[in-house]
Amino acid sequence: MSAAGATNGSEAAAGPHVELRRVTKRYGAVTAISDLSLTVEKGSFTALLGPSGCGKSTLLRMIAGLEAITAGQCFIDNADVTDVPPAKRRIAMVFQSYALYPHMTVRQNIAFSLSVAGQSRKVQDERALEVARILQLEPYLDRRPAELSGGQRQRVAIGRALVRKPEVFLFDEPLSNLDAKLRVQMRLELAKLHAELGTTMIYVTHDQTEAMTLADKIVVLDKGVISQVGSPLELYNTPANKFVATFIGSPGMNFFAVDIAAMNGRTASVVLPGGRTAEVVITTTAGAGLAELGVRPEHLAVVDPNDPQAAFAGAIAIIEHLGNSTILYVDTPAGQLIVEGEGNLDAKSGQAVGLRLDEGHARLFDETGAAL
Amino acid sequence: MSASVETGADVFASRRAGRLVRLRHLDLVGLVITAATVVGAALWAFPLYWALVTTFKPENEVVRPAVQLWPEHFTFQNYVHVLLETKIGIWYVNSLVTSAAVTVLVIVTAAGAGYAISQLNFPGRRLFWWMILASFMVPIPALTVNHFILINQFGLINTLPGVVLPQLLAPVTVIIYKQFFDSVPKDFREAAMIDGANEFQLLFRIYLPMNWGITTALAIITFIAAWNLFLWPFVAVNSEDRMNITVGITQVHDAFGVQYARDLAVAMVAALPVALVYLIFQRRVTQAIMLSAGIKG
Amino acid sequence: MLRSKRTEILAASMLMAPFAVTYGVLFIYPTIKMAQLSMTNAPLIGPGKWVGFDNYFRLASDRLFSVAIWNTLYFVILSVIPSTLIGLLVALGVNRLKGWLQSVVLAAFFLPYVLPVSVVFRIWQWMCDKDFGIAQHVIQLFNDGQRLSIFRTIPLFMPAVAVVTIWWLIGFNVLLFIAGLRNISSEIYEAAQLDGAGRWTQFRRITWPLIWPVTVLVFTIQMILQLKIFDQVYLFSQGGRIDTTIVMVQYILKQAFQMNKGGLAAAASMVLFVLIAALSVLQFQLLRARGER
Repeated sequence: MSAAGATNGSEAAAGPHVELRRVTKRYGAVTAISDLSLTVEKGSFTALLGPSGCGKSTLLRMIAGLEAITAGQCFIDNADVTDVPPAKRRIAMVFQSYALYPHMTVRQNIAFSLSVAGQSRKVQDERALEVARILQLEPYLDRRPAELSGGQRQRVAIGRALVRKPEVFLFDEPLSNLDAKLRVQMRLELAKLHAELGTTMIYVTHDQTEAMTLADKIVVLDKGVISQVGSPLELYNTPANKFVATFIGSPGMNFFAVDIAAMNGRTASVVLPGGRTAEVVITTTAGAGLAELGVRPEHLAVVDPNDPQAAFAGAIAIIEHLGNSTILYVDTPAGQLIVEGEGNLDAKSGQAVGLRLDEGHARLFDETGAAL
Repeated sequence: MSASVETGADVFASRRAGRLVRLRHLDLVGLVITAATVVGAALWAFPLYWALVTTFKPENEVVRPAVQLWPEHFTFQNYVHVLLETKIGIWYVNSLVTSAAVTVLVIVTAAGAGYAISQLNFPGRRLFWWMILASFMVPIPALTVNHFILINQFGLINTLPGVVLPQLLAPVTVIIYKQFFDSVPKDFREAAMIDGANEFQLLFRIYLPMNWGITTALAIITFIAAWNLFLWPFVAVNSEDRMNITVGITQVHDAFGVQYARDLAVAMVAALPVALVYLIFQRRVTQAIMLSAGIKG
Repeated sequence: MLRSKRTEILAASMLMAPFAVTYGVLFIYPTIKMAQLSMTNAPLIGPGKWVGFDNYFRLASDRLFSVAIWNTLYFVILSVIPSTLIGLLVALGVNRLKGWLQSVVLAAFFLPYVLPVSVVFRIWQWMCDKDFGIAQHVIQLFNDGQRLSIFRTIPLFMPAVAVVTIWWLIGFNVLLFIAGLRNISSEIYEAAQLDGAGRWTQFRRITWPLIWPVTVLVFTIQMILQLKIFDQVYLFSQGGRIDTTIVMVQYILKQAFQMNKGGLAAAASMVLFVLIAALSVLQFQLLRARGER
């Protein structure tokens, strides 16, 4: 599936900054990725999102040059780098484990690539200081990684990448080793960094929140295949298939089987479990028959059980009070549905309720999971 | 009716008393064991102590029938004699030179080979690894005769290089290096490669520095083994000037009969360096021994 | 990993070369030569005629060779079993100590291990000296007040050398046993104590079974080590009836350097070689099987 990436106000460059053209990756008899194409625009923050095993890290490593590409090509800035070793690709990478050399100080870690290239001590120290200033690491320059906190170590890893002035920054799940609060903090710092530097960044993660908050463009991967490419809101509001719809958004989308009664041009009439009907917008034609309807929790509302507009009648099984919102698990003819309501919702477990459905935001999916 | 029923409290009291007795009993046995261990250690150290003390006695004291645990006349004359009248200086130098050479050469070749087998892909890699593992099970002393023939062919019998050469065979060191290099997480290698490092920079700036402890431990134990080696230097050298100290001290024969204190003094001087190395680097030595035993296991 | 195959192989060759060269020259070549030589009647230096398995037949009928084999095995039994058990006992004792006392006690047992064999020889030669050795005071208690030249009394020779060897090498065993004992969680012992198990029961039912793999390891390492025995036996037998107490490596050296029979010596070397290699493989398999337990 080719992905003509969404542009977002980046500078005019001849073609995309990074491109994977019809790449295949085979490990012996196992094919991890087959005929995949992907583009990344200059200056963008592109996330590769998916569950573990979907191939996102493999793609990143192929761009980095750490994995050989079995078939296909990789281009960086229009140059074919398929057979070029990583050191010559003008990329830099931040590893999940940071891979900070434990026997070197922060300064030596940051300046390592310069020292390997034979730069003078003066240049090494200057550039290291420069980078340390940007990342607020100055007081730590003479410490060893073991003496630093998780967040500081991550900044050193970023610094080590920064000092090489790469064209493309690669991140391999850099926040997964941090605790929740630190993760939020570092997310902001990464966003700031991107805004300041404007360098192209490719970011691998399994956390949809990270992808949604940081990326201009998200590439959702499922078992080595691109599921959908788009901006965060595009993926949220118009998921191309059930996989994307489930993966993006928390709490996840509700799904239940419906019967397509009639096609009415741009909408379809569906019969909901429990008997009521609804009118749903569709983008492609669909035949009559079975389909699945997906509704996000915030597009269901709790109403009086006798409300005639209610799509379902049900009973509350579990309530979770989060303060700014309330999550309700409601048993209905369509199964247990997750509903998101106001923070001060007054409800009790076991209470009989009705659920109103925001038809404009419901999406139909066919048997293959593709959106209709 | 006085039924002899024990109340709950009584039962507990008697049980507690019983346990206390057992506890005290345990302590006694424990104390005996500890004492036995300490006494055992003292006994074990006695031969060395006795030899050392004897070297500080004048010869006439040494041959007295009575046992004297401390010299009546503390003297250094035996050591003076050793240092001035025997070839111990030459032997020391020989031992130092050959041991140092063996240590340096073994460490360098083993680290290189261990790194290559661990990190690089080249034809014959697995074959080589199996051969190294196999060679480890082979007794070097059985090759003594053929080593002699070979070194003789090189014309190196009775020379220091001739003593050094067969000692360069150290599969254990390669195996240990390989295992440690294997345990370095791959991330470091990849990060360094992205930073542009070549294999030699990787070895000398990342892999070896991250394993300095191992190198130290291996170097110390290689040095001690080379210093203490008897069989090969004994076979390969026949002139006193080329002997190492371990062989040399067995060749000391006084023209005027047996001089116990002096013979022992020579031995003590020979033992001093390795004993010092051990006492200073205790932890490294024990670590290295555990490592080499780990492979045998 | 993307990199030029050629640079990788080049780097690998440069890094492997020194070791590979020494390995080939000092191991492969002599081993092959040894096998070859054993089939000839060559002297130590110089060529000889091919005689097939003649040397091996000679060994089989050479009384001295069987004496050497027997002496070697006898020595191994005398030294390996006691040193394994004593090592365990010492380790049990040392493990209970703490702090500086433990360090000192451990050093006392371990220091002999780093000494050269000739120093160990001198120390014990002095202790057992017939005229002035301190050990004679103990010997006189058992020998009707008579002094005894231990290393010249044939039946005592091997046991005495075994004692010296145990004194010398015990540190190695103690170290391994201590490491093994430390691996046994103290909670197991606490649970046993609460269950009412006494010291001996704890040893029999917990320590001994759990330390068994280490015991086997120590035993086999020492066994293979002692089969190559030469140094101490040679040194203590100087001036006595060397042939009576000869061991295998001694036999090999005698044939090579004294009798100038290179081929025969090589054949004897092959026998020792194969024996030890077989036992090493056995040990390797044994331990791997135990590891799977």
